[in-house]
Amino acid sequence: MASAWAGWQRDFGWTNPIAGLSLKTIGPIASVLTASTVYWLGSSAARSFDPTNLAYILVGAALYAHVAAYSWVPSLAITEGKWSNVFTQVYISPKSSPPYLAGRCLASFATSAITSGGSLVGASVISIYLFNTGLPFVLTPVSIGLLVVALVVNIFASMGLGFLLSAYTIFATKFEWALPVYVSGLLMVFSGALFPVTLLPWPVSAVADVLPFTEFIRAARVALIAGYPGSFWYYLGLSFVGGLVFLVLGLAAYAAAEHRARRLGVVDRKAV
Amino acid sequence: MGTICQWLNRSRSHDEDTQGGFSMNAKSVDASVEVENLRRVFESKQNKVVALDGISLQVRPGEIFGVLGPNGAGKTTMIRILSTLLLPTSGNARVMGFDVAKEPEKVREVISMASGAERAGYDYISARGNLWFFSQLYGIPSAEAHGRIRELSKMLGLEENLDKKFYTLSTGYRQRVTIVRAFVNDPKVVFLDEPTIGLDVMTAKSIREFLVAQAKERGRTILLATHNMAEVDAICHRVAIIDGGKILASDTPSSLKRSLGAPALVIEVSPIPPPGGLELLTKIPGVKGFTSSIDEERGLSRVQIVVESDSAAERAIGSVQAGGLKVLSSYRQQTTLEEVFVALVGRGFREREHEHAS
Amino acid sequence: MRASLWLRTAYARMWVRTKSIYGEPLWVVVTIGFPLFTSMALSLLYKSSNASQFTGFAILGGVMISFWGNVLWSMASQFMWDKQAGLFEVYITSPAPISAILVGMSLGGVLGTAPSAALVALIGWALFNPAISPAWPAVLVVFTLTLASLYAMGMALSSLYLVYGREADSINEALHEPVSFLSGVYFPQQMLNFPAAVQIAASLIPLTIGMDALRRTLFSGEGLQQISFHIGVLALMAAVLLVLSQKMLKLLEERGRRAGTISVRIR
Repeated sequence: MASAWAGWQRDFGWTNPIAGLSLKTIGPIASVLTASTVYWLGSSAARSFDPTNLAYILVGAALYAHVAAYSWVPSLAITEGKWSNVFTQVYISPKSSPPYLAGRCLASFATSAITSGGSLVGASVISIYLFNTGLPFVLTPVSIGLLVVALVVNIFASMGLGFLLSAYTIFATKFEWALPVYVSGLLMVFSGALFPVTLLPWPVSAVADVLPFTEFIRAARVALIAGYPGSFWYYLGLSFVGGLVFLVLGLAAYAAAEHRARRLGVVDRKAV
Repeated sequence: MGTICQWLNRSRSHDEDTQGGFSMNAKSVDASVEVENLRRVFESKQNKVVALDGISLQVRPGEIFGVLGPNGAGKTTMIRILSTLLLPTSGNARVMGFDVAKEPEKVREVISMASGAERAGYDYISARGNLWFFSQLYGIPSAEAHGRIRELSKMLGLEENLDKKFYTLSTGYRQRVTIVRAFVNDPKVVFLDEPTIGLDVMTAKSIREFLVAQAKERGRTILLATHNMAEVDAICHRVAIIDGGKILASDTPSSLKRSLGAPALVIEVSPIPPPGGLELLTKIPGVKGFTSSIDEERGLSRVQIVVESDSAAERAIGSVQAGGLKVLSSYRQQTTLEEVFVALVGRGFREREHEHAS
Repeated sequence: MRASLWLRTAYARMWVRTKSIYGEPLWVVVTIGFPLFTSMALSLLYKSSNASQFTGFAILGGVMISFWGNVLWSMASQFMWDKQAGLFEVYITSPAPISAILVGMSLGGVLGTAPSAALVALIGWALFNPAISPAWPAVLVVFTLTLASLYAMGMALSSLYLVYGREADSINEALHEPVSFLSGVYFPQQMLNFPAAVQIAASLIPLTIGMDALRRTLFSGEGLQQISFHIGVLALMAAVLLVLSQKMLKLLEERGRRAGTISVRIR
């Protein structure tokens, strides 16, 4: 809880939460709009524009950014913490670093859930205006509730990814701040966010097809887009199982990295 | 206290008060730095802080002039004004004859500044590359700059680390780079703000020796803001003691210490007195002030009392005992600049820093 | 003397920027991530929309985003980082003109970003083989002017960041994508039905004019005469932003000296 509070303060301590959230939502709205505009332009030129596909892209673009935004926060907590000596103090405390990193991750999940929800709504409204089209979204308490469930289940996978990245960051002395860019980029390409993963060459497409992030986005699409094929609970189940695998792998990797870092004496080594 | 300040600021013409060939009659020598009634006020919605309250001083060419005071006394504010980073609220300041407020460009050509808090440099560039870069900000031809870098680095024991990337250097070496940077442009006046803070003893010593050589052999004027009394004692020709934005006294270190008369009394008392428990000392005639530190492990407090005479010392011991404290030991010690400060302010550096902080 | 000082300062600052980047090869790997993945993803999106002829837009967008990212994160924010490290006060207390430092930073930024931008172009080319019909002299002129005006905008922004400090990170995040969208980095933004006010605001961004001119010269073969309006506007923007940045920094320096904020360390 304390770690989640620290994360929230770090993100919004310099301003009020509303201003901070607003600033954090502008970028994702633009990012989602870029993807939707690219689709609209290309499909219009090919005379194959379909509002369902536009909705597909809007949901995917909003949600991959959501995952990217908070999965790297454990790494950020380590980097910043080393610089400010906070990480060293956390590390030598009784519960050590994993609960701290998890707390920071959860605080960021809350923020990015709000901002990605905002970006989806904002980008959808603007797309309707710009492209003069409707969108087949299902916006009922049930569908929103299912989306929330999917978001929560995805925490396992994202936190697992966060710990995997942290296993690298605990040793990193430079450029670890570039990690979120790569995470975001890889998710954009390999999680079916903007286009079906079948477009990718094999075996990359096979791997992308079973990633928990891909299943999470599929589940969200089933919940939100009318007539979208597939079973929400099937995709959610796959996301859950994949997420657990990621979480176990991530925690194991981080534990091993922590142990090695302690042996090498680099736990409190500052990054440049 | 006003009388003490006036007495301490009086010019003397005795030979014993002449240090490094300087006469104490400042008006007969052109000053490198002149400050007259300098005042700086910081205002915010919450409060108003008077950082400098009408200070005046003159620093002569080739002099190492110390500005000594606790944190929050106004030293850094003064340095910032003289180095053109900050405008004064009122008053005048001139460096090499140029007005810091109206002619900053001219001032910048003849000065440099370094702070112990910065250790500024570009991490992925070597120390040599960083120093060359800073030299270019002063328009120094590259060949000449490299020559100066070599020479200055040799004086500070930095040669072997010149080609290492800045981020790989230890704190001590980064500070040496900072000091070299402050001299690479051949400045007439150098402003140093706590240049040896946080450094190991050997590095600090190297830097001090370097500063003395620069002042003596190159005639540079060095204004050194510090709260390190040993540093001031070791290298400064003159020192101004500053507190609460005011200069309380200004003279050579030896003259200031001599002015107190009797050596300080140091006593160790037990048990550790509660906060304010030693205030009774200030009411004793002949006691000018005191400062104390606590030794938790031994369960005692060490009190340095500035006294005018031996009888005042005896009265101080008697008063402490009458207050229910046991005096475990007592001795007289050679006067330090902190005792001069205590005599002027009534409190030591530590106590004043707490007061400034609150 | 002043000209010599100006040139030395600009060269030295450019040298520091390029040496930092080329002296650490990982920089290219680090800086290429966002533009490469974005241009690849959007190229695949064009392709999946049966519009492979537009993949070139996405690749060109990736190239220019490399520079836009450098303008925001390394150029505009640089003085804020310098202030944090205590370097900004070293600049202010030296006789070096701030304009020379800014120009040096810009040139260093362009040279330092060039390898990653070139790699984005090469990889995009290898994967998607976009169709182009270039008028190379016009492409070069437009490219140079677009960079000049972009970096001049970075110089103007650097003064804002001096004031806002820590919040600069959030301002960068807020500016990066919206500017990319409004200026049509990955698509011709004139095709969108923006309200007039938004259209006008977008036109004030050098990237908008520059991207349009680059697409015309690279994909439609338009020559110098046909894009003379764009050339004029970009040159004017570069000049105006350069002058504006000088004046803003001078004003902020005075304000900083009065308020005592030049050497405040930002954590």
